[in-house]
Amino acid sequence: MATREEIDGWIARCALGDRGAFQSLYDHTSAKLFGVTLRVLKDRSEAEDALQDIYVKVWRNAKRYSSGGASPMTWLITIARNHAIDRLRARRDTEGDDAIAAMPDRAPGPEARAVAASEARRVEECFDTLEPDRAQAVRRAYLDGETYADLARHFEVPLNTMRTWLRRSLIKLKECLEP
Amino acid sequence: MSETELPEDDRALAGEYVLGLMSQDEAAAFAARMRREQALAALVVAWQEDFAQLTDEVDEVAPPSRVWRKLDRRLFAGTRGPRWLLAGIPGVLAAALALVLLLVPLPDGGVRPPSDPVYHADLASEGGELILAAGYDAETGELYVEPRRAPEPGTDHELWLIAGNNAPVSMGVLPADAPARLSVDPTLADQLAGGTLAVSVEPVGGSPTGAPTGPVIATGAVETL
Repeated sequence: MATREEIDGWIARCALGDRGAFQSLYDHTSAKLFGVTLRVLKDRSEAEDALQDIYVKVWRNAKRYSSGGASPMTWLITIARNHAIDRLRARRDTEGDDAIAAMPDRAPGPEARAVAASEARRVEECFDTLEPDRAQAVRRAYLDGETYADLARHFEVPLNTMRTWLRRSLIKLKECLEP
Repeated sequence: MSETELPEDDRALAGEYVLGLMSQDEAAAFAARMRREQALAALVVAWQEDFAQLTDEVDEVAPPSRVWRKLDRRLFAGTRGPRWLLAGIPGVLAAALALVLLLVPLPDGGVRPPSDPVYHADLASEGGELILAAGYDAETGELYVEPRRAPEPGTDHELWLIAGNNAPVSMGVLPADAPARLSVDPTLADQLAGGTLAVSVEPVGGSPTGAPTGPVIATGAVETL
């Protein structure tokens, strides 16, 4: 995995039109973003198309990067995840929900993960302070792009209850993350 | 606050916004507030950072090399060559320079993929992991290979062509972790179309017998482009 400084540098050079930097950025981050995109879309060929669009956005928006204040991987992951979810929702609008509900989640694999471990652990620890199904609801919303309607159906509660649950979970999470 | 009362708390709203749980109207109203209130924007960025950590539990998956090829074509078609080096140089001179730049190796000295490959293959493991991308450059008679997984210490990866029912023919030992161009015998090049490429694990220096001796870790059909 490339360092934060390297990724920062590549994005900055993309903003200047440096294609070599763009290729380095792609080489070092595309497996991560493809994983995230596949997780949301659960369809390989659509995820490939989505990944192309995502890097087109990255190339074109590189100038706007530093102003946002997020770390470079967060910036990239947010672009990827949001684009994948936009596609997921557009697809649902045209073909109905059932195909999506039927598709299995990708199980997390055995590989050792990730470097920013202490940060990730903190987030994980805070998720562990939530009741398991509430933590799962937040995960499903983020990683699978589920809506309140999806979540209410999944957890078999009324939509308003789902919304109250989820907002409270978010407040509890934030209090744990930034006491 | 009663058990059922919906909390109106900016921390929760910012989280909902980042998760994409708001209706379009709510999201638009929230975004408008965010442009005025810096604290709200900071909450959004903080949630983005926090939630992005959740992707640590998602497996990385190397995309097939066609994604890069299509992306490259989509963004840079018709502008081959490192054009950014020419910014600010007047037209005619720039055009002349561009020609020169196209003909000389790039300053990094790296091996370049063929600009117009005739054949392409993605060699993947049984689990779908991309192990090697290959493209045949008819102009030079070379196969460009880009390994995505280095061999275990004390072994080499060797590339084989399987044409029809013929026995595998070695195309050479692969470099560990850098792209390379392998020159291809013209009679072998003729058999690439419709063939299958495979990577096997061999002793250092390649198979001592001329046939694969170790496990085959990746295969891929040769596509004609």
